[in-house]
Amino acid sequence: MSEQTPAISIQGLQKSFGKTRALDGLDLHVEGGEVHGFLGPNGAGKTTTLRILLGLLRADGGHARLLGGDPWSDAVDLHRRLAFVPGDVELWPNLTGGEAIDLFARLRGNLDHARRDELCERFDLDPSKKGRTYSKGNRQKVALISALASDVELLLLDEPTAGLDPLMEAVFQDCIREIKAAGCTVLLSSHVLAQVEVLADRISIIRQGAIVEAGTLSELRHLTRTTVTAETADPADRLSGLPGVHDLQATNGRIRFEVDGEHLDPVVRELASLGVRGLTAHPPTLEQLLLRHYGDELAARTDTSAEAQP
Amino acid sequence: MTATRTATTQHTSSAAPSSSFTGTATLVRFLLRRDRIKLPAWTAGFAVFMLYLATAIPAVYETEADLQGATQLFHDPVGRMLTGPGYGFDTPTLEGFVANGYGLYFMLLSALMSILLVSRHTRVEEQTGRAELVRANVVGRHAALTAVLVVALVTNLAAAAAVFVMMVAVGGFGAAGSAVFAAAIAAIGVAFAGVATITAQLTEYSRAASGMAGAVLGAAFVLRAGGDMAAEGGNALSWTSPLAWGQQTAPFVLDRWWPLLLPIALAVGAATVGYVLAAHRDVGASLFTVRPGRQRAAPSLGTPLGLALRLQRASIIGWTVALAITGLVFGAFTDALIDALGDMPEAFVELFGGTEDMIAGYLSYMAVFMAYLVAAYAILAVVSLRSEETTGRGEPVLATPVSRWTWLGSNVAVTVGGIVVLSGVTGAANGLGAAIVTGDTSYVWELTAAGLNHIPAVLVVLSVAVLLFGVLPRAIQATWVIVGYGVVVGTFGPLLELPDAAYEVSPFEHAAEMPLEAFSLQPLVALTAIALVAAGVGMLAFRQRGINVA
Repeated sequence: MSEQTPAISIQGLQKSFGKTRALDGLDLHVEGGEVHGFLGPNGAGKTTTLRILLGLLRADGGHARLLGGDPWSDAVDLHRRLAFVPGDVELWPNLTGGEAIDLFARLRGNLDHARRDELCERFDLDPSKKGRTYSKGNRQKVALISALASDVELLLLDEPTAGLDPLMEAVFQDCIREIKAAGCTVLLSSHVLAQVEVLADRISIIRQGAIVEAGTLSELRHLTRTTVTAETADPADRLSGLPGVHDLQATNGRIRFEVDGEHLDPVVRELASLGVRGLTAHPPTLEQLLLRHYGDELAARTDTSAEAQP
Repeated sequence: MTATRTATTQHTSSAAPSSSFTGTATLVRFLLRRDRIKLPAWTAGFAVFMLYLATAIPAVYETEADLQGATQLFHDPVGRMLTGPGYGFDTPTLEGFVANGYGLYFMLLSALMSILLVSRHTRVEEQTGRAELVRANVVGRHAALTAVLVVALVTNLAAAAAVFVMMVAVGGFGAAGSAVFAAAIAAIGVAFAGVATITAQLTEYSRAASGMAGAVLGAAFVLRAGGDMAAEGGNALSWTSPLAWGQQTAPFVLDRWWPLLLPIALAVGAATVGYVLAAHRDVGASLFTVRPGRQRAAPSLGTPLGLALRLQRASIIGWTVALAITGLVFGAFTDALIDALGDMPEAFVELFGGTEDMIAGYLSYMAVFMAYLVAAYAILAVVSLRSEETTGRGEPVLATPVSRWTWLGSNVAVTVGGIVVLSGVTGAANGLGAAIVTGDTSYVWELTAAGLNHIPAVLVVLSVAVLLFGVLPRAIQATWVIVGYGVVVGTFGPLLELPDAAYEVSPFEHAAEMPLEAFSLQPLVALTAIALVAAGVGMLAFRQRGINVA
């Protein structure tokens, strides 16, 4: 793929189902060759976005381009170049997992038998079982193996590891790194934050049908606070007066506080002067990033419900 | 609710000595609570069935002669095949006709109810893992199975009681005969509960377990059909079938109780085997190991058409077998019809186009009747395609380079193929049945042609289903209206003296009534053209709409 064409380019996407507004001016930009995390809670509009990109739904407004084509009118041609793993994989009860894997790959037109067998081995899937006997995790594996065994430019994954155990999740992560190294673009939708953190080059956070943050993990971290826990020789009360320090708690010579990214340097200098005996500092997790967005929303909801009750 | 609460406060484990039956009483109440809708509904179903017979039969067959005429149909070998040994049909009484003419269907229902009940509370529970949750409590090894059997017994007794009350109170039938009849229904139900107890141990899947027990029921039907057809009162072959044991009580004719010892013995014996098998296996395991399927897809499964064919294959085969048997039986009825011609109620004679050409009229009606059934297949095929979409199995297929046009087109093409096969096979079976009893082989070709003649009408029904699938998928079931309307107009039209316009609307009324009338091409061309337009519009609309949105 040429460097100029982005894999996915969406501006101002709108989609409503009846009165429910699923997408409300969504912008999403995914460069070719990157693993892009598409992060948000259930019902935020992730699946709707993916279904529009697959030409299964028609957008009400806005622009969407996929691999340089129109997701609705060029659907069939685009589908030759991508593979999709739905969040809730349903299989035909009377077809085996192996048959389903082969079917999807053949419909895509590019099944690599050796790769398929290798993936079955790695994901520890018995392809001879009928669809109705598979657990959720195993159904997910069937769809994943089928997608990964196809030689495509773009993978659209909708919560692909929802039913997988940690061991299989590690296998999944290895596979994603491999196909990324081979030049494949991945859009990884998830509410499992740790997974996105590990794999994604860039992240877009969606909330109520619109992107609220987008960037690399470090860019997003820049926006938020580092948590510091320290044990000091001298009392650390005066730290609380410094700009950018929040929620300072001190117990028996141990302190814990959060500090804004841009004020980190002066606070750490001040801390050093107190005689540090032990120190841990960790960057914000994506939970904290999300909590900031949904925390607002929660607060707003509490307000409105308070207003609603006279 | 109260039952559960009382049970938890009893501390059964510390108070009573633990046995392998500990907890049975609690589980019985638990099962009754879970089935609080289903079991009363089944019981009510039995009551309504008997209520209907006890009121409708006297109303339809007003005179002795009417009853004699109707009994004639059941008395003949083909009639006996479908109803039973035919006790008391020489000198028919109302209650004797109801009990011996329809008893088989009450027993089939109680058997089916018991199979589903046992399967639901044994294998389904293990398959879903809920059984583990129960067994992890203070519950004995045999408690769950015992509770299920107790509930099965109670339910069958309730159904029997409901039937008894309707017979005595509404029908005014004799209490002795009604008691024998009701007891036979319960005994057959309990016997099949026993059979299901065994099959539930054999496989890991509830569908297979119910299927095996259902196959035993089917075999029981066929065995007694053979025996009852061969000799009035049945022969030795009949006595190999549990269903016949219930019928051999001959309610209101002989009023025999002793044949019921056989189903009771079967129930006890089968349940004992069930207990032994259950004790020798792990929870969730089965005695039959699961047969692994194909590791790789066959070369045919890799195109949209191959997938459509694979998904509809089982349904087409099932329908073909079922309709071929139905066609054969209806065809074989031809002979009985000739015999019964004089004694038939007026309504039947009207339906088959008057007395002059009654046989051709009957066979023409059967050809269109089969077309109604083929149309039902066509609607169900489109409905199941809709459920492919709503369950999310269509989505990943449409996310591959398969266009909407190809996906829908392949599925419709396979259904059209199914319609052609079904129409031809049922027509041929109809003709074969008629040829066997009359010795006139020309019926085979005539009725195959008559079956194929109705294909365009069925295609119209299919195309309306496709149209709705594309335009308004949630209304797809509305297609049934066309078939329902067709049945009413085609069956009761002459009686209701409907105007011509009423016939014009039904797609089934345009093709020539073969073999009564000569073949005519023109209406078939018109019907096919309508079908093509409607299906085309449906397919175009499907390309424009969202997937899996109402």
